Amino acid sequence: MRRLRRRGCRPGVVGLEMGRGRGRGRGRDSSVQLRPPSPYRLQLSPSRETLTYAQAQKMVEVDLDGRLHRISITDPLPVITEDEMMAQDIVECNSNKENSEQTQSRARPGRKPPNPKGRRRESKTSSHQSRRSGSQQYTQSHTNSSQHPSHQSPLPEPTFRVLDCPCPLDTPPLPVAYYRFVEKSGEEQDCEAEYDMDEEDLAWLEMVNQKRVSDGHASVSPDTFELLIDRLERESILESRSQALSQSAIDEDAFCCVCLDDECLNSNVILFCDICNLAVHQECYGVPYIPEGQWLCRCCLQSPSRPVDCVLCPNRGGAFKQTSDGRWAHVVCAIWIPEVCFANMVFLEPVEGVKNIPSARWKLTCYLCKQKGRGASIQCHKANCYRAFHVSCAQKAGLFMKIDPVRETGVNGTTFSVKKTAFCENHSPVGSRRDGSGDEAVEGRLVGGRGNRGQRSYTQSPPAPPSKKTPKGQKKKKGKKSLAGQTTRRSAVPVLLVPQIPSHRLNKICIGVAVQRKNQFIQRLHNYWLLKRQSRNGMPLIRRLHSHLQAHKTAEQREPDEKLCAAREELRYWQKLRQDLERARLLVELVRKRERLKREQMKLQQAALELKLTPALILLRSTLDQLQEKDAAQIFSQPVNLAEVPDYLEFISKPMDLSSMRAKLEAHAYCSTTDLEGDFNLMVSNCLRYNSKETAFHRAALHLREVGGAVLRHAHRQAQSIGLDPSTGMHLPDSPNKHGFYQCTWEDVDSLLDPDNRLHLSTEEQLKALLEKLDMVASMRSSGGRTKRIRLLRREINTVTHKQQRSQSHNGKEEEEEEEENGKKDNVENSPLTSASTPGKDASPPTLESSCPASSPLPGDAPPEPPVLGLVTAGRRSPGRRSPGRSYKRQRSSPSGGKGQSDDDAEVEETATPCKQKEDSEKFSPSQTPSPPTNACPLIGVGRRTSVLFKKAKNGARLAKIRAAQLQYVGTTEGKTNGLDSSPTIIKPPSETALSTPAPPPTPSSPSSHCLRSRGPSSDSEGDKPLSLVKVEGFTNGLGKHKDDSSDIASNDQKHSVPPPPKRSRGKPALAKVPENQNGGSVQHPTSLCLCSGGSMLLPFDSDTELTPLDLVWAKCRGYPSYPAMVVDPDMPQEGLLHNGIPIPVPPGDVLKLGERRQKETGERHYLVLFFDTKRTWQWLPRDKLLQMGMDDTVDKLRLMEGKKPSVRKSVHTAYDRAMIHLNHVINHVKGNLTFNPSNFI
Amino acid sequence: MATAIYLEHYLDSIENLPCELQRNFSLMRDLDNRTEEKKGEIDKLAEEYISSVRNLATEQRVVHLQKIQSAYCKCKEFSDDKVQLAMQTYEMVDKHIRRLDADLARFENELKEKLEVSGYDSPEGRGLKKGEGRGLREKRGPKGRGRKSSDEDSPRKKKLKNSPELSDALLPMQPSDVLDMPVDPNEPTYCLCHQVSYGEMIGCDNPDCPIEWFHFACVDLATKPKGKWFCPRCTQDKKKK
Repeated sequence: MRRLRRRGCRPGVVGLEMGRGRGRGRGRDSSVQLRPPSPYRLQLSPSRETLTYAQAQKMVEVDLDGRLHRISITDPLPVITEDEMMAQDIVECNSNKENSEQTQSRARPGRKPPNPKGRRRESKTSSHQSRRSGSQQYTQSHTNSSQHPSHQSPLPEPTFRVLDCPCPLDTPPLPVAYYRFVEKSGEEQDCEAEYDMDEEDLAWLEMVNQKRVSDGHASVSPDTFELLIDRLERESILESRSQALSQSAIDEDAFCCVCLDDECLNSNVILFCDICNLAVHQECYGVPYIPEGQWLCRCCLQSPSRPVDCVLCPNRGGAFKQTSDGRWAHVVCAIWIPEVCFANMVFLEPVEGVKNIPSARWKLTCYLCKQKGRGASIQCHKANCYRAFHVSCAQKAGLFMKIDPVRETGVNGTTFSVKKTAFCENHSPVGSRRDGSGDEAVEGRLVGGRGNRGQRSYTQSPPAPPSKKTPKGQKKKKGKKSLAGQTTRRSAVPVLLVPQIPSHRLNKICIGVAVQRKNQFIQRLHNYWLLKRQSRNGMPLIRRLHSHLQAHKTAEQREPDEKLCAAREELRYWQKLRQDLERARLLVELVRKRERLKREQMKLQQAALELKLTPALILLRSTLDQLQEKDAAQIFSQPVNLAEVPDYLEFISKPMDLSSMRAKLEAHAYCSTTDLEGDFNLMVSNCLRYNSKETAFHRAALHLREVGGAVLRHAHRQAQSIGLDPSTGMHLPDSPNKHGFYQCTWEDVDSLLDPDNRLHLSTEEQLKALLEKLDMVASMRSSGGRTKRIRLLRREINTVTHKQQRSQSHNGKEEEEEEEENGKKDNVENSPLTSASTPGKDASPPTLESSCPASSPLPGDAPPEPPVLGLVTAGRRSPGRRSPGRSYKRQRSSPSGGKGQSDDDAEVEETATPCKQKEDSEKFSPSQTPSPPTNACPLIGVGRRTSVLFKKAKNGARLAKIRAAQLQYVGTTEGKTNGLDSSPTIIKPPSETALSTPAPPPTPSSPSSHCLRSRGPSSDSEGDKPLSLVKVEGFTNGLGKHKDDSSDIASNDQKHSVPPPPKRSRGKPALAKVPENQNGGSVQHPTSLCLCSGGSMLLPFDSDTELTPLDLVWAKCRGYPSYPAMVVDPDMPQEGLLHNGIPIPVPPGDVLKLGERRQKETGERHYLVLFFDTKRTWQWLPRDKLLQMGMDDTVDKLRLMEGKKPSVRKSVHTAYDRAMIHLNHVINHVKGNLTFNPSNFI
Repeated sequence: MATAIYLEHYLDSIENLPCELQRNFSLMRDLDNRTEEKKGEIDKLAEEYISSVRNLATEQRVVHLQKIQSAYCKCKEFSDDKVQLAMQTYEMVDKHIRRLDADLARFENELKEKLEVSGYDSPEGRGLKKGEGRGLREKRGPKGRGRKSSDEDSPRKKKLKNSPELSDALLPMQPSDVLDMPVDPNEPTYCLCHQVSYGEMIGCDNPDCPIEWFHFACVDLATKPKGKWFCPRCTQDKKKK
C-alpha cells in the first residue's frame, strides 16, 4: 500500500519530495522532526532552479492561487482556527492580490500550475491540523497532501479563500458499487517508471547534471533518471528470478530456530524474516503481534549490512537479539546461560546480564567446537559431569536440552520458574526423544531430526568478524522460504546478491532514452545503481517487483495451465456427475433386484402359508396330479358326456372323474387320502362297469387302477409320515414318529412271501400287504436281492389276485346269473361273454399278449368321450403293458363275470364290448334280446379306423333296423363270396380268408384249449343258454378249425368258401355284425349271417367277386406293385368301429368325396381300400385292381415278389406282415370269442 | 462452466432426474407399505383360520382361504408394480447415463482438439491424461449400462458393450484410473464368479436366469456369440428338462 501511495505522488514538487524523503529517513535526520513549522516568508530565491539543495531542504513550497509560497522550515507558523481563517480570508481578500502577484512573479507558472483542488484540500486539512512537532508524521501518511502546514503558518492574510462552491461532502456518498479499484496490470506497470527518486538520487543527478552542463551537455531530467533506474531494477529482478526459479525450493518443514520445533499454532505462528528468512516462533522471538507488512528480524532491522556475532557463542545464524550494551546475542544463548536474562519479558529484549557472567564460564572449552574463550558455555547438568558446550553448539549437535516446568514461561524467558536441563552427549537420557512442544528448545538425541535442524540453523562464524544479513523485507508465511533468502543470509558478501546486468541488456535499456553521451551516462548510472543496491544490501529499489517475485513465479507456471485447469475442472465436474449417475444406477439396480427378490419371497411365503394351512389339500392335490398324469389318454379327466351316452346314468349312479374330484378337492371335500382313494376307486369302477371288458376304456381303467393304486398308497404313506389331522387338514401338533415303512428288512419281505405266513389274512389283506412290500422294496436301492424279491413279490401278488378273482368270479357268476334271470339282459349277455372270454385269456396270458400288438389302429382317433367308447389303442396296448399279474387278475375276475360288485360289473361290461364285437354269435343272440341294439351301432360303424364303439343299450328299434340292414348287407357280401366259387380267382379270396383265419389261429390253439376249460365252468352255469352255445359252436366252426373241442367245424375251414356257409348258418344265429368286420372271419360272417337271419338272409352268392369290407386284398395302383390293403366300407359310421376289437380307421371326408366323384366318372363301382403302409393311405380302386389276399400262398408270394426294387419289395413285405398281424389279431379275437362262447353256454 | 451447449442441455434434462427418482421411489415405498399391510392382514387371516379351522364348515374354509388367496394376489400385483417401477427407473437413469456418455465423448474430443490447436505441450499431455482417466471411468459405467439396458423385459440380446470399448481403445488406459470410482461395497455381483461387473459382459437369454450377467472370461467367450446364448446353468437345466 505504501508503494502505491508513493507512486501516486511521484510528480510532486521537489520540495515535497524532499520532505517525504526526509520523512522516510526519519532515523537519520532528527532535526526535521523537531523543526517547528516556519512562518510564512518569501524566500530569496525566486525559482527552484536557484535554490541549492541545502536551501531547498529548508524550504517548504506552497502553491496558493497560482502563487508559489515558500516557507522556511525554521519559521514558526501560527495556528489559525477555521473561524479565524474565515475572518482572515475576508480580511485578506483585499491584500490578496498583491500577494499573489508577488508570488507569481517568483514562481514559475509553467512548472507549477496552480492546483486549486490541492489547495483547497490543503487548506482544509491544514485548518484542522494543529501545528505540532508530530505534524511531520501526518505529512508522511498523507503524502498526497504533502503541501501541508507550512501554508497556514504563514501570514495573517491567507492567500486563499475557501469556497462557496458546493462542498463535495454534501453529496451523499455514492453506493459502494461505484468505487472500484482497478489494479494496473503488469504490462501497464511495466510501461511506466515505478521508481521514485529519493534525495540521494536527486543529489547525484544534480551533480551529474552539473558536470554535464559544465561539459556542455544537456542535463538529464529526473524523469529519465527514474525511468532508467526502473529499467535496471526490472532487469535485475528478471535476472534474479531466472536464477531463483531454477533453485527456488520451498522449505516445507520450517522450524523455529530458537526451539527447533516446527509446530505452528494460530497463536504462535512461525514468522519469517523478510530478508534473511529467519524462522522463529512469535513467542520464541518476542513478537506478540504480527506486524502489518514486512517483518524483519532484529539483526536485519538493526544491522542490515553487517552480520552479527553472538557474544555468547561462536556460531552465526539463528535468532539474535541485541544486548543492552549494543552487542548481539542468540536468543537461545540468552535463555540458557543462567546469568543472562531479558530485560523485557514480552519482547525478549534487550539481553541483559552479559557482564554478570563469571569469567569461569567464559573460559570453558566447548567440547563440541573445541573453541576456548569464545563465548560462554554451559555444562552438562549431570552431576559430576563438567563437560561444557555452547548452547548453540549443543543445539547444532542435537544434545538433549529441555526446559521443563512451564513452557510459556520458557518462551517468555521467565527464567525463575523454569528448570532447564541440558546433557552432554554421554548423559542424554536413553531413548529420550524430542518431545518438546513449540516453545522450548527441547532436544532429544536425534539422529536425523533436531540435530540436523540445529546444524542447519547455525553456521560457524569465522574467526574473522561477522558477515552480514541483508535487509530486505517481506513477510512470508511458513513454507515460503526461498533459498535465495537463505543464501542472502548466509553469504558473507551480500554484494553478490546484486544481480549483474549483462551489457547487452544495458544497451537495450538505453534504447529509446534520448540522452546525450548516453553511454557514459548509462555507465555512471549503472554504477550508481549498483552501489545503491549494495548499500541497501541488495534490496531491490522497487518493492513491488520483489514482493511479487514469488507470485510471479507461481503465476507464470499457472498461466499456461489456466486453460487446462479450467478444462480439467470441467471434466472433473462431469466425471463427478457421471459417477453420481453411476451410483444412482447402481442403486436402482439394487432396488430392482430387491424388488424381484421380494416378489419371489412373497410367492414363497404364500406357498409356505398354504402348506401350513392346508397341507392335506396340497398332498391330495399333488396326488391327484399324479393320478391325472397316469391317465395319459385323458379318459378320466372329464365327466362322462351324457349327451353322448344318455344311458350312462342308468348304469352308473355316481359318476366320477378327475375334474370333479379336483373340484371336490378344492372345496375341501376330502379330508384324507382315503377319501380321495374312495372317489378314485369309484371312478375306476364306474368305468369298468360301464365299459365292456374288451374296450380300451376298460383296460385303461384297469391300468389306471393299478398305477393309481401305487400313487395313492404312496400318498397315504406320506400323509401318515407327515402326520395330518384329518379333521382340519393341517399338521398334527406332533409329528408322528417316522419309523416307517421304509425300514423293513428282507426278513419281513421274505416272511410275507411265504404264503403260510399270511394264511390268517384275507386275500385282500394279503394283497395289500404284498403291494406295500412291493412298493417298499422297489423304493430300495437296487441290488440282486431287491430285484429278486420284487419278482417274487410280483408273483405272489399275482397268485393272490388270482385267488381273489377266482373267488370273486364265482360269486360274480352266480350273481350274474341271477341278474340274467332277473332280465337284465345286457348284463347277462355280456357277463357270460366276458366270463367266457376272460377265462380264455387267463389261461394263456402270453397268447393274449401276443395277439395284442397285432392290430394297427391309431390311438389319436380316440373318441371324445372315452368312458363310453372303447379306445381301441388303449385297450389293445394296455394288456400288453400290464404287468402279467394285472392282466391276469383282470381276466381272472372277468370270468367270474357277475360278482355283483361294481368293479366286476364294470369289468364285465368292458370286456363285454369287445366280446360282442368279436363274437358275432353272442351279439347276435342279443339281437333278439335287447342287446342287439348295442351291437347294431358297431355294425354300422364297421370299418371305422380308429376306434370302435360299442354302445350299450341303445333304443332297440333303430338298432334293430340297422342291424337288419347290416345283416342283409353282410349276407349279400357273403353270398357273393360264396358265389365266387365259379370264378376261381375270385373265389379264392373267400376261401383264402377262410383259410387264413384258420391259419392265424395257430396261436389261438392254446386259447381254445382254455376255452375249453373255461367253458367247463361256464357251461355249468349257463346251461340254460343253448342258443348261445350253438352260436358259439357255429362260430368256432366257421373260424377256427383247430378247435377240436368246440367243434368239428374245424374241418370245414380247410375247405374253401363253400363249406363255410353251412357252418355259418349254423353257428351264426346270434352274430350280426362281425361278419362284415372280419375278412378273416368273413367266412364266419356269412355263417353268422345265415345263422342269424335264418333263411331270410341268404341272398348273395351271385357276386362272389364282390369284396366285402374288411377283406384283405392285394391292391394294384398304377406305378406300384400290388400292395396289401383292406377293403373298407365307405359307409361305415363316422365314429369308427371295432373289428373284433380292432379299430378300423375311418376314411376321411375328402377321401369319400373323391370316391363318389370317381365312381361317377367311371360309372364303375370302386372299392375303398386302406393300404397297410405306414401312413395308412386310402385309395379308391375298381374291382379288377383288387385281388383277395390269403387265398393262396403262392399268389401271395408272387405278389410279394412283384416289386422290382428291393426297397419296394421290402415295404410290400412289411405291409404284408402288417396285414397278417391285423388278420391274426382279428381272428384271435374271434377265436377268443368263440372259445369263450362255449364256456358261456356249456 | 463454459461448456458446450449440449452439455448445458444435458444439465437441463437431468435436472428432473432427482425428482423423478424420488417420485418413483416414493411410489415404490407406498406400494411396499401397502404390501406390508396386506401381509399383516394375511397373517391375521391365517391365525384366524388356524384357530378356528376345526369349527369351520368346508365352505367357510374355502371362503377363508380364498380371502387369503386374494390378499396374496393383491400383494403379487403390488410386487409386480414395484418391479415394474424399479425397472422403469433403471431405464430412466440408464438413459441419462447413456446420453451423458455420448455427450462426454463428444466433449472430450472437442477438448482434445482445442488443446492440440492451442499447442500447449504440457497441457495437451495433461489433457490427454485426463481424458484417459475419464475414458476409463466411463467404461466402467457403460458396461453396466450395456448390460442393464437389456433388462428382462426387452427381449434379451447379447449386450456387448461395444461403445465403451471403442472409446477405451482410443485412450490408453491407466490402471490407476480404474480404481478411480470408489468401490461400492453393495455393488451387485454377477456371473459365476460372483464378482462385480467389469469389462464385457454377456446376458443369459433365459429371462429367468438367476444370474443374468456373465463376464466373457468366466464363460470362455472371447467374442460375442451369434444367436441366443444361455449360461452354463441354464443350459444344464434345459437339458434336464
